Amino acid sequence: MKPKKTTLAAFLLPCILLFLLIYLVPLVLVAVSSFANWRIGQPLSFAGLSNYVQAFHDKNVRAAVGHTLLWVIAQATIHVFLGTLLAFILAKKFRGWKVFRTVCMLPNVISTAALAMILLNVFKTDGGLVNGLISLLTGSKFEWNWYFNSSTALPAVTLGWLLYPGMITILMLAAITSIPNDLLEAARIDGATSLQINLRVILPMVRNTLGTSVIVAATSMLKEFELIYLTTNGGPGNATLNLPLYIYKTAFTENNYSYSNAMSVLLILLGVLIVYAINRLFRMEESDY
Amino acid sequence: MKKFGWKGLFAGLLQGIFLLYTTVICVGPFIWVIISSFKTNKEILDSAFALPTSYAFDGYVRALDMSPIFHFFGNSVWISVINTIISVLVVAMAAYVLARFHFWGKKAFTLLLSSSLLVPVSALLMPIYLLMAQIGLLDTKASLILVYAALGLPTSLFILRGSFLSIPREIEEAAAIDGAGPLRIFFIVVLPMARSGLATAATLHFLTSWNEFMFALVLTKSESVRTLPLALNYFSSQFSFDYTAMFAAITMSVLPSILVYILLQEQVTSSLVAGSVKG
Repeated sequence: MKPKKTTLAAFLLPCILLFLLIYLVPLVLVAVSSFANWRIGQPLSFAGLSNYVQAFHDKNVRAAVGHTLLWVIAQATIHVFLGTLLAFILAKKFRGWKVFRTVCMLPNVISTAALAMILLNVFKTDGGLVNGLISLLTGSKFEWNWYFNSSTALPAVTLGWLLYPGMITILMLAAITSIPNDLLEAARIDGATSLQINLRVILPMVRNTLGTSVIVAATSMLKEFELIYLTTNGGPGNATLNLPLYIYKTAFTENNYSYSNAMSVLLILLGVLIVYAINRLFRMEESDY
Repeated sequence: MKKFGWKGLFAGLLQGIFLLYTTVICVGPFIWVIISSFKTNKEILDSAFALPTSYAFDGYVRALDMSPIFHFFGNSVWISVINTIISVLVVAMAAYVLARFHFWGKKAFTLLLSSSLLVPVSALLMPIYLLMAQIGLLDTKASLILVYAALGLPTSLFILRGSFLSIPREIEEAAAIDGAGPLRIFFIVVLPMARSGLATAATLHFLTSWNEFMFALVLTKSESVRTLPLALNYFSSQFSFDYTAMFAAITMSVLPSILVYILLQEQVTSSLVAGSVKG
């Protein structure tokens, strides 16, 4: 069966157009204009590397990149550990395990915006859940504005994603339960304890999925926007600022398009670097079985 | 074959504690929000834990008064459904050609499409805004449908290409011998056989667009086109002194997602797994 060239083109064309319009043209625009001077009310001019030089000295960029790296590392370790631990427990498929799988996914299936609004109330000063809990435990009225104090804003925002590893759990659970049972049976007959089986047999076999989980968790931090935007909006000062939020603010409140686009280029490079590093770390392409 | 000992009991206890902690952390806030939606403003501010004194739906009535949540819900349904249909169809056509035929530039083309996987969409926020302004689509549902249709394009492409590759060629060849044209073969013969792949791609795509916030924030302004996630952005100012209504509004905006997830969780779970592994 050899189709005509026009048929092939007709099948590919809508997808190509969509890709051009939403990915390629914007991407080229971002890359090119990052070398320009382009803001509202000023003539367009060539700026060389000045946007990048400015970004290098901008303390907000440093804060944003620093927070992103911190969050990437925290997600790749603590978040993935919590999710994997839950997956190992649920993989035993005790009675009612599905209930827990549903439960841990609930914060992930509602929109992040909704989760942000819920957490905003949980951490609220008056009548918030966290302050209420502390008041109840200590017996005296406790009032603290978690999201608006520079000492607690960063940890409070971080908890909003760190403690909800449902996505990692379902990924790891799918991988663990797909290991052939006779392999585990063989280990059991050889006298391995269940801890040994988990650590020495299952964990190495699901290494690829673990790597995928780490990438999923880490790259989610490059996209994080609404949870920060709706709770602290990057503040106080720049205590919880990250690159997407700074890109948004620079483009839409300061109308400095070229500078915003230079930071977009930095964000893309940062992402590529992180994915490459994780791939190297987990030797993802090789398979053991 | 299970041996019981102190060690096993201790491990079981630790696991129990971890499961309890997970449940409290994940479900606690929801239950608290729902309970609070029945309390009066004063009760909410006085104590975070006290139960409401009455279970009236006043808060819900006031919330719907101030924020037409059902309208936003309708917008979200419309935008998500339409863009999912468009996206899955458009990507399926391309994925089919990439899975079946050899032609010049195929490798480069696949590589180019998958490279978009590495681009965080927030990096493209500003140029996409400008493009939409240029074609005059700002503040319309069409702009969101267009942008959302492109989100997750590489993931859908990989999922669908995989499911087309698993369909035996002979059936299409038989259909071609019977005189069916390529369009007919694709829509009548191939697509129905790729049902599970289509369902996976559609589920993932729907979830992404249903929850999307950033582009909705940048590309739309007026209430008539507002989606449900974006509506939450206005809750803080709309309900600044009426916590009961705010909790009611939050409850109404998350309940549909939770109910649908509980009903379709096998499909959603397997789609999410497939999407992450492929992507």
